[in-house]
Amino acid sequence: MLHRSQNLTRILLLLPALVLLAALTIYPLVPVVYYSFFDYHSVRGFEGFVGIANYRRLLGDLFFTVSLRNTLVFALLATSSQLLLGLAFALLFNRPFRGRQLFVPLMILPMILSTMVVSAIWRAWFHYDFGFLNNVLRAIGLDGVRWLFDPNIALYSIALVDLWQWTPMVFLILLAGLQSIPGEYYEAARIDGANGFQVLTSITLPLIQGHLFLVALLRTVDAFKLFDKVYALTGGGPGIATESVSTYIYREGFRYFNVGTASAASIIMLAVALALTLVYAGRVLQGQRR
Amino acid sequence: MTAARWARWLVCVLVALTLALPSALAQPSGNLVIAGRDGVFGDALGLATTWFAEQNPGVTIELLRLPYAGLYENLVISLRERSGAFDVVMLDDTWAPEFMAAGWLRDLEAAGMTINPGFVRSALDASRYPFAEGPLYAVPHVGNVLLFAYRTDLFEQYGLARPGSWTDVLAAARTISERAEGVHGVVFRGIRGNPIVTGFLPLLWAHGAEIIDADGRVAFDSPASVAAVETFLALKAFAPVGVEVYNASEVRDALQRGVAAMAIEIWPSWIPALDDPAVSEVVGLVEIMPAPGQVAGPSPMLGSWLLGVAADARNPQAAQAFLEFVTSDEIQRRLALEVGLPPVAEGPYTDAAVVERFRWYPAQLEALQNARARPRIPEWSQVESILGDYLQFVLIGQMTPQQAVTEAHRRIESALRR
Repeated sequence: MLHRSQNLTRILLLLPALVLLAALTIYPLVPVVYYSFFDYHSVRGFEGFVGIANYRRLLGDLFFTVSLRNTLVFALLATSSQLLLGLAFALLFNRPFRGRQLFVPLMILPMILSTMVVSAIWRAWFHYDFGFLNNVLRAIGLDGVRWLFDPNIALYSIALVDLWQWTPMVFLILLAGLQSIPGEYYEAARIDGANGFQVLTSITLPLIQGHLFLVALLRTVDAFKLFDKVYALTGGGPGIATESVSTYIYREGFRYFNVGTASAASIIMLAVALALTLVYAGRVLQGQRR
Repeated sequence: MTAARWARWLVCVLVALTLALPSALAQPSGNLVIAGRDGVFGDALGLATTWFAEQNPGVTIELLRLPYAGLYENLVISLRERSGAFDVVMLDDTWAPEFMAAGWLRDLEAAGMTINPGFVRSALDASRYPFAEGPLYAVPHVGNVLLFAYRTDLFEQYGLARPGSWTDVLAAARTISERAEGVHGVVFRGIRGNPIVTGFLPLLWAHGAEIIDADGRVAFDSPASVAAVETFLALKAFAPVGVEVYNASEVRDALQRGVAAMAIEIWPSWIPALDDPAVSEVVGLVEIMPAPGQVAGPSPMLGSWLLGVAADARNPQAAQAFLEFVTSDEIQRRLALEVGLPPVAEGPYTDAAVVERFRWYPAQLEALQNARARPRIPEWSQVESILGDYLQFVLIGQMTPQQAVTEAHRRIESALRR
C-alpha cells in the first residue's frame, strides 16, 4: 500500500515536467518528423509524399555530409580542448594564491559576452593584415596565418573562439567539483606517500568524474548546435569548410524554404545528438549507481 | 428663429459637411507598420516617416529596421502566413519575383495609386511581375546600381587608360600590384552567398554568358561562363590576401585606406565616404563608372530596393499614401541631400544641388538607365546561393572554373526542377 502511494507521489511530482516535455519538445517534433517524408516547400506548399527520399538525398549530398563531418569534428575538438584547459585552470585555482579573487571574475568574462560580440572581437583579431594574432606572430618572426580563409584552418579557428568563450564554464563547474572533495582524502594520500600524479589520477579525477561527464555532455550538445559563430565569422566558408548542420538546415529551411529537406536534416541531427547524449548520460547515471 | 432661418442653417451645415468629409476621409490615419532595412536605408526611411507624420498627424508609424537576411525571413514568414504584421514592406529587387508570384503584394495601379512619371525605366520594370509587362506590385525606392571604381592617380602614374574591358581591368590590376608599393590591384567581396555573386554578375554578362536564358532554362554551362570565371580567378591574384571572406566593410576599408586600386563592385551608398576626409585617404582620387564590358557591352547590375503594400496590410490606405509621398521627386531629392539615398526618378539626378554634392550622379544615372536586372525567377535566392558556393570553390582552389561551372549548372537545374 505504502509502495503504491510512493509511486503515485513520484508520478505526481514528475507530471509537470512530463507535461512540459510533451508540450515543448515532443509536440513540435511530431510535425518535423511528418514533414521530413514530404516534398514540402513553405511557399508552394505540399508537393507529395516522398518516403525516405529526403533522407537519401541528404546522405548523397556533399554539402550535407561535409557539414555533418564538420559538426562532429568541431564538437569533439571543442569539447575535449575545453575539458583539458578547464581542468587545468580548475586545478590551478583550487589552491590558494595571491590575486585569486581578482582572477576568477576575469576568467569568466568571455562567457558573459554574447556570441555576436565574441565573434566581432575575434573577427578583428583574425584579420590577416592587421589582426592582433598575426601581429603577435609577425613580431616574433613568424608568418601570418590565414585564420578564416584557409579551408584547412578555418574550422579550427572557430573552435579556438569557442574554446575562449566556453572554457570558463567548464572551469567553474570543475572548480565546484574540486572544492567538494574533502581535504582528508588528500591528507591520507600524502601520509601514504602518493605523489602529485597519483593523487590526480586516483583521487581527484575519479571524485569529479560526475562533473566531468556532465560538463562534457553540456559542451558536446551545445557545440553540436554550432551556428552563430559560423554565421558571424565565415558564413560557412571558405567553400564549405565551416558549414555546420545547423547552418545547412538554416539555408534549406529559411533561405530556400525546402521544409521537407530541412526537417529530414533536423531529424538526422537530432538522432546523432541523441546518440551522443545517451552515451554521456549513461556514464553519468552509471557513476551515480556506483 | 424662424423655420426659414433654420432651413438656411441646415443647408449651410450640410454643404460644409459635404465639402469637408471627402478630404477628412482621404486623410490617412491609424497605425502604419513598415518593415525596412537597417543602415543608411533605415535612416532614410526614418526621416521619410518623420516628414510624413508631420503632414499626416493622424498616422502613427512603427518602423522596423532589419538586417538583410532578417528582413527577408521576417517578410516571407509574415506574408506567407498572412499575419497582417506589416503594411509597407521594403524588398530587394531579387526578392520581387518570389513575392509577386506568390500574391503577397497589392497591385498598386489597380488600387489607384499615383505613380511618379519620372521613375527610371529599368527600376520601374523590376517593380512589375512579369518583368516590365505585368501589374505594378511595388515602386522603386532606392536607385541602387552596381558601379565600378578606380584610382585616377594610380592610373595616371602608371600610364593606364580608363578600363574599357575586363581584359584592361586585369592588365591594370597586374601593373599596379607589381609596381605600386602596398597597393593591391583590385578588391571585391569574396564571401559566400549574395556578395560574391553580386560582384561577379557584371563580369559574367560582359562575357556574353547567362545563368537563365530567355526561355527560363538554365544556361550557365557555357564556354563564356568558364571564361568569366577564369577572369574572376585571375583577378584574385591581385586582390588582398583573404579576399575570399571579404564583405562590404573590408572592401570599403581597402578603398578608403588607399590599399586597393580598383573595386569591381561599388554601391552608391559607399561612395560618399570616399570623399570624406575624416574617413578616407583618397579624397577626390576615385573615379566611378559603369562596370566595363567584354564581348558584350557594359552591363551595370540593377540593385534597386522597392517598397510595396502587403496584400494583407491592415492599413492599405495609409501605406499607399506613404508610398506616394516617399517616391515623390521632392522627397527623393531631400533624402539624397540628407542621407545620400540614391534617387529612383530622373528629376533628382539632374537637380543642381544634388549633382554638386554627389559628383558621380551623372554616371550613376547613366548606369541606372542601362541597368540590367538579375534573372526574374522566384527561386533566385537559391540559384544565387548555389552560384556563390561554386565561385568560392574556385577562389579557394578546390575546383577549376570548368568543374565549378558544370557542377553549379547541374545543381541549379536540380533546384529549379524541384
